[in-house]
This record gives sequence, structure tokens and C-alpha cells, in this order.
Amino acid sequence: MWSERIKGVLLQEAYITRRSLEVIVDLFYTSLVTVVVFGFVSRFLMGVTNVHTGSYLILGLLLWEIIRVNQYSLSVGSLWNIWSHNLSNMFVAPLSVTEYVVAHMLSALLKTLVTFCGICAIAAWWFHFNVLQMGLVNLALFFANLTMFAWSVGLVLLGVIFQIGTRIQALAWGMIFLFQPLTAAFFPLSALPPAIRAVAYTLPPTFVFEAARRALQVPGTNWAYLGIAAAENVAYFALATAAFAWMLARSRLSGRLARAEG
Amino acid sequence: METLLEVHDLVKVFRGTRAVDGVSFAIPKGRIVGLLGPNGAGKTTTIHMLLGLITPTSGRITYFGREFSRHRRECLQRINFASSFNTLQGRISVRENLLVFAHLYGIRRPRARIDRLASYFGVGRLLDARYWDLSAGERTRVNLIKALLNDPQLILMDEPTAALDPDIADRTLALIEEIRRTAGVSILYTSHDMHEVTRICDDVIFLDRGRIFAHDTPLGLTKRIRTATLTLTFDGDRGAVERTLRGRVERFRFVQPFAVMIDTSEQAIPRLIFEVGEAGVWITGIDVKKPTLEDVFLSIARGGGRVE
Repeated sequence: MWSERIKGVLLQEAYITRRSLEVIVDLFYTSLVTVVVFGFVSRFLMGVTNVHTGSYLILGLLLWEIIRVNQYSLSVGSLWNIWSHNLSNMFVAPLSVTEYVVAHMLSALLKTLVTFCGICAIAAWWFHFNVLQMGLVNLALFFANLTMFAWSVGLVLLGVIFQIGTRIQALAWGMIFLFQPLTAAFFPLSALPPAIRAVAYTLPPTFVFEAARRALQVPGTNWAYLGIAAAENVAYFALATAAFAWMLARSRLSGRLARAEG
Repeated sequence: METLLEVHDLVKVFRGTRAVDGVSFAIPKGRIVGLLGPNGAGKTTTIHMLLGLITPTSGRITYFGREFSRHRRECLQRINFASSFNTLQGRISVRENLLVFAHLYGIRRPRARIDRLASYFGVGRLLDARYWDLSAGERTRVNLIKALLNDPQLILMDEPTAALDPDIADRTLALIEEIRRTAGVSILYTSHDMHEVTRICDDVIFLDRGRIFAHDTPLGLTKRIRTATLTLTFDGDRGAVERTLRGRVERFRFVQPFAVMIDTSEQAIPRLIFEVGEAGVWITGIDVKKPTLEDVFLSIARGGGRVE
């Protein structure tokens, strides 16, 4: 039965994605255009500076999209139901919140995989940048870690939307960019000032991006960095789940969940 | 008679305000119970607590003899909800929307079920239309299909005919009556429209400021207002009519030179007509306005919850 309910939410996600130009633009089109722009910039940089500078940029972009698309899909997926005044209908069906969230995570994962494969193919074909040069194990570990971090952020934002309502909906697609400089997505960690670097160490993607940049130069897996990233991710995910559960309970107590649809 | 829903001493406090204050009632199998009250009476908050969208401050909700807070999924599987305030996903088709809910409710052979219900409600040709392209009446019918997908024993309806024109509202009510007749489903029905409630509800619960002020049949409630209005038009001596009425009725006034409006109890009407006739005037017209549910509603809304 639980699989039927999850399938129901996934079906809804598939129907909405197919019919919504916004989703197609926000996910696939934005990723496509960004990778093309970053590809040209990195090609230019490879010609005028250290060859790695350009590679770091396009690598950072490809990996960053894993975070962006995952988080966007998880948070905005529920906003479609709120905008349509359909959230109550979903929550008065025998669908548990866990099933609802898991379904949205799976949907986010699927969209991310499709987008990531697409932009990696463009990067390889057009800009001769092959992510597989880091190794399949590395790539899988990077993907898993970045996905988990994105889900943590997405869960918290979902909780905030349930708790506060659509007033803060812009955070659903905007807030994640705060982590772009903080996690040193496009440049080595050493480029950050010490104070910000201290913050960067508390964020799992920082270690993933560092490990990825190193993997471009030295074959092998940086288990130390990926271990730290995984440990931090587990902590973040546990905290995000607890925060989401708390905010959902609060919104049910205050009546905001029922009023979220306006 | 089997009780499907039992609500015991339900309380909801929002920032010190008791939005719902000790509400208790039950819905037996096959009954339509109306939940009425002025704006802010606590109707929607009550419905939302019954659906688990709002956590009660205290009190107990039991569906089919099972505590809702402990058997949430099991209870939700056997009930459903329809409201004019909640719509389905606008961008996707009616069939796609209904397929989503069919999966959520674990319906076997969902396409066949959807086709059958759509044909029953006369929206079969609209299944592939986008939900937001439908008219208000068509949306209401699709919402009712969604509410019937899981073959529920109880449907909670929050003003399902709001925003519908009288003709479509009338057809929707006819459909609801038919649903009850053919599927034997019980309904908790909130509305501001007293004629609707009088037409379809077996019992009516009046809420005001979070409390139940009256719980009775529509007829029982109207009988609580003892005053009916009798209008007599006559030919003859106006003074004789005035003398006859003075001391016999609480209040009367001449609305035209030869027409008098009298507030009196329903039981006293035949005697009054007889006595005015005996006063030597020729009665040319009689009009009796009995109290309606609307009078009860207004009496509660304006009289601080008191019914005369």
C-alpha cells in the first residue's frame, strides 16, 4: 500500500513536470544554459590561466546542479500543491507525511539524475570535460553526498513553508545559492577568507567540492574528505528531519497548515 | 444505529481564543448532519480537526469506534472530503488528478472506477480537460468524484456549493441527495445556505463562538422560534380589528390601512383569524410566514446564541 501512495505522489509530480513550463525552465533549461555559459568561460580560462582553473569551474557547476535541482524539486514540489489549493486534499488522504516526503525525494532524485546526465553529456561533447575522469566511485559518492545535503536544506525549507506559508516561498528556489560561495563550489577552499573558511568546514559540500577538484589531478578517492562530508550529512539530515517534524507539528497546532493554501 | 463519527468535548484554543469550545456530537450511519453558524463560529476549524489538518487542544475524535489520533490512516481510508475552498491541480487533467488520488486511496482498477463515476456525474467528456479549464459547477462535480473514489462511509463537505449559481447549486444538491440514497453514505455538511440545509440535512448543529447552541432536526429548530407572522388584509372597521387584537397578541402593526401584521404563536393563528372575523370585518387575504432555519440562524447570530 505504501508503494501505491508513493506512486500516486510520483505520478502527480510527473504530470505537473510534463505540463509546467516553469519546471522545465527552472530545472532543465536553466541547467542547460548555465552549463553552456560556464563551459565557454572555463574554455576561455583554460587558455589564459592555469588549465585547472577552467576545469574547476565547469566541475563545480556540474556538481552544484546536483544540489540545486534536488533541493528545488523537493521544496517547490509542495508549493505546486499549495498554489493549487490541493495540499489539504493530499493530507486528508491516507498518505503519511513520511510517504509524501519520500516520494518528493525520489522525484527530486529522478529529475536530478536526468538533468545531471544531460549537462554532463553537453560538457563532454561540447567542452571535452568528462566527469567520469574522476572515476565512477567518486562520482557516485559525490552525487550521494550532495543529494543528501540538498534534501536536508529542502526539508527545512518545506517545514518553513508549512509553518509560515507562501510568504517565504522565494526561499524555496533562492536560498540554496547562499551555499554556493560558502561551500567553495567553483574555487579552491583556500580562496576563502579564514572566517568564512571556518563556516565552510561545517558544510558537507565543501569537502565534496575539494575532493572532486583533487580527483581531477590525482586519481583515487579522498576517503577522509568524503567521510567527513558523509558524517556531517548524517548529522544535517537528522537535524533537518527533526526540524521538519517540529515545524509540521507546530503548523498543525497553530492551524497554519490548513491555512497555507490561502 | 451504528455511529460513524463521535466527537467528544473537542476544544481548540488559538492564542488564548477558544475557537472551538467543548463541541460534542455524533453522526450515525446514513445521516446528513449540517454544521451551521455565523462566520468565525468554528465550523471550518472543527472540520479541519476532524480531518487531522489541525491538532485539537483537547477532546476526542472517534471514527468507526477507533481513536482518530491513533488510527489516522485507517480512519482516513474510510472517509473523504469535499470543499469549494480546495481544488485539484489546475494544470493537469481531471483524469490525471483522479488517478493520483486513486493511488493515494489504493483503489483497484482506478481507470474503470474513474470512468464509472465520471459517467454517473456527467463529466465523462471532461476527463481529459485540464482542471482549471472547467467551470465552477464542473469542478464541484469533479471534487465530488474525488470524494467518492474510495467508496467512503462518511464525507465531510465544507460549503461544497459556495460560488455556484443557484441552478448548478440545485443540481449539486440533487447529486448529494442521490449519493446518500444510492451509496448510503453519511455526510457532515457545512453551509451558510439555510435552504440547502433544510433540504438535505437530517440533523442540524448550530455553532456560535465555538460552542454548540442547538442540535436538532431542521423542523425541531424552527419550532424553537415560537413566533410566526400572520398578515391579514380586510374590508371593514380598522378600529374593531385593533380592539380585537389589543391584549390578545404581543405585537401587531398596520402595514397598510387595511392590512395588519401580527406576531403570534403558530398555534394561536386559527383562533385569531376567527376572532378578527367575528369583529365584523371581511377578511380578504391571509398570509402566514412560518419561522425558517434562517430565522433561527439570525436569532443565534444576532442574539448572542439565544433562540427565543
